[in-house]
Amino acid sequence: MSVHLRSLRILAEEKALVSQVSLEILPGKITVLVGASGSGKTLTARSILGLVRGIEPGLVEADLELRDGEQIHRPYAQADRERAFIPIRGPLVGWLPQNPRAALDPLRAVGPQISACLKLAGRESAPEPWLKRVNLALGVGALFPHQLSGGMAQRVGIALALARGSRFLIVDEPTTGLDPSLRSGILKELQEARDSGVGLLLITHDLRLVRQLGDHLLVMDRGCIVEDRSARDLGAMQSPQAQALWQATARLEGR
Amino acid sequence: MLGQVVQEVLGRRRLGGERAQDLLAELRDTGLIEQVQVQDLGVLGVSSLRPWLGVALLLFPVLLWVISLAAGYDVIGDVDVSLASSAPSAAHWLGCDHLGRDVLWRLITASESFVGPALLACAVALLIGVPAGALSGWLGGLPASLTRFVLSTLASLPRFVLVLLVCAAFGNSVQLIALAAGVAYAPTLAEAIYARIQSFRHRGFVLAGQAHGLRNGRILWLHLLWVNHRRLILRHCVQLFAYFLLLETTLSYIGGLDGAGSFGVAQPDPSWGNMVAFEWREPSANLWASLAPGLATALVLLGATWTGRALLEEQA
Repeated sequence: MSVHLRSLRILAEEKALVSQVSLEILPGKITVLVGASGSGKTLTARSILGLVRGIEPGLVEADLELRDGEQIHRPYAQADRERAFIPIRGPLVGWLPQNPRAALDPLRAVGPQISACLKLAGRESAPEPWLKRVNLALGVGALFPHQLSGGMAQRVGIALALARGSRFLIVDEPTTGLDPSLRSGILKELQEARDSGVGLLLITHDLRLVRQLGDHLLVMDRGCIVEDRSARDLGAMQSPQAQALWQATARLEGR
Repeated sequence: MLGQVVQEVLGRRRLGGERAQDLLAELRDTGLIEQVQVQDLGVLGVSSLRPWLGVALLLFPVLLWVISLAAGYDVIGDVDVSLASSAPSAAHWLGCDHLGRDVLWRLITASESFVGPALLACAVALLIGVPAGALSGWLGGLPASLTRFVLSTLASLPRFVLVLLVCAAFGNSVQLIALAAGVAYAPTLAEAIYARIQSFRHRGFVLAGQAHGLRNGRILWLHLLWVNHRRLILRHCVQLFAYFLLLETTLSYIGGLDGAGSFGVAQPDPSWGNMVAFEWREPSANLWASLAPGLATALVLLGATWTGRALLEEQA
């Protein structure tokens, strides 16, 4: 069971936003995608779900292969791509979007949203255990998205992503704007998900995360992968962009 | 303190009356806002009975309709010439007109001439306007352009003229007027929904829903239309209901004036419009015969306005 994305290319009016991007997500492993703002990380992640706007042939081309036991999905090779992505979104690949508050239905309480997600996954639809799992009070279920703090919204997002029970999970900047204790709580959740066999694609600016829980590191710059290596030896990175990122992290930590 | 008020505005929580007074006093104390009136806080849902009064006034004709249907009163046959133009009494609460017909019963029975048809008009507008607006907003591109072209062409005809044309071409019945009013109103509803759906369809939660494996249909009908825009749709229904009442009353009034009943509901069937026209042509000594239907129309329209405004503020 695995996700292989090869030679992804996304065009917007003659200009390539992303080109020649390849990556793998393996069960029980965390692949980290790092890069400056606007380098194409989120677009790459969305292409795995077929959620790039204008998914038509010619604008988005990729050799995407999702192996699920015997079954092999190749959505970009299908004529009707929209339909080909239906079995993938949710059960196979889940998504924790960058701005979790915007990713919640603004006029629906949190609890029913989690319930709806559980129902989609064919699970028992009580939201309470999932709220508890991400350390939220049970009363949070009755709140609306605008009543949540940033950290609460982020945790609700994680609860939703976990509740969907996807085999692979794309996590887009999960720790941005969170205080250290919340951050470590969320990292713990991600580690637990990994240990239970979920394959993760983690998108972040923060190289420290790579050291803490990454298995494989990809660095993107202007739509291309510039560094592709195991997360063990971060000091030995070749590309100038990756080195600059790494040095900035080291400086932050006072070394 | 100011922060709290802002927070509560953002949270759109309703404040109790006393709580509002406290907040008001403290707001004045801060000196930041000098002139805050209770009315200004009306937006917060403070202290206002108006929305509920509006709903009550709006439901009033529906109640009359139910009474009328349940009672099965013979409004045409029950004429007592000896009571012509009689003043209100215990037996006839609003008196009788100059033919000796009970004004209250005519007032009640007249609800049959517009409540049902108004609901029909709403159903027609919903059936055309909601799918047209929602689908063109969701799909965009050529389907949207085509739909909007057709609808805006329809909308370029003044509604009243459209209804008169339909009356002239297909004959004069309330059901037909209701159909025409529903069709004539559909572009307004469709355009309102189109604008909202178009601005919502690329929101984060729509994308997140898709990523979770929700089907587009479910996102569109449940999350976008039902959860996020049912107030908008309800508001348009209230508006159309009021519009239809005004339309039917106007047409029946015009029809009643020339005596031929070529428009709207014709005598001896009662309608609030032709009751007023009837009194206009041959005024009776009983003032209530003309005042009551006029007042009833005004009050229901007022109720619709208040209800609509309350819905607008809630939705904001």
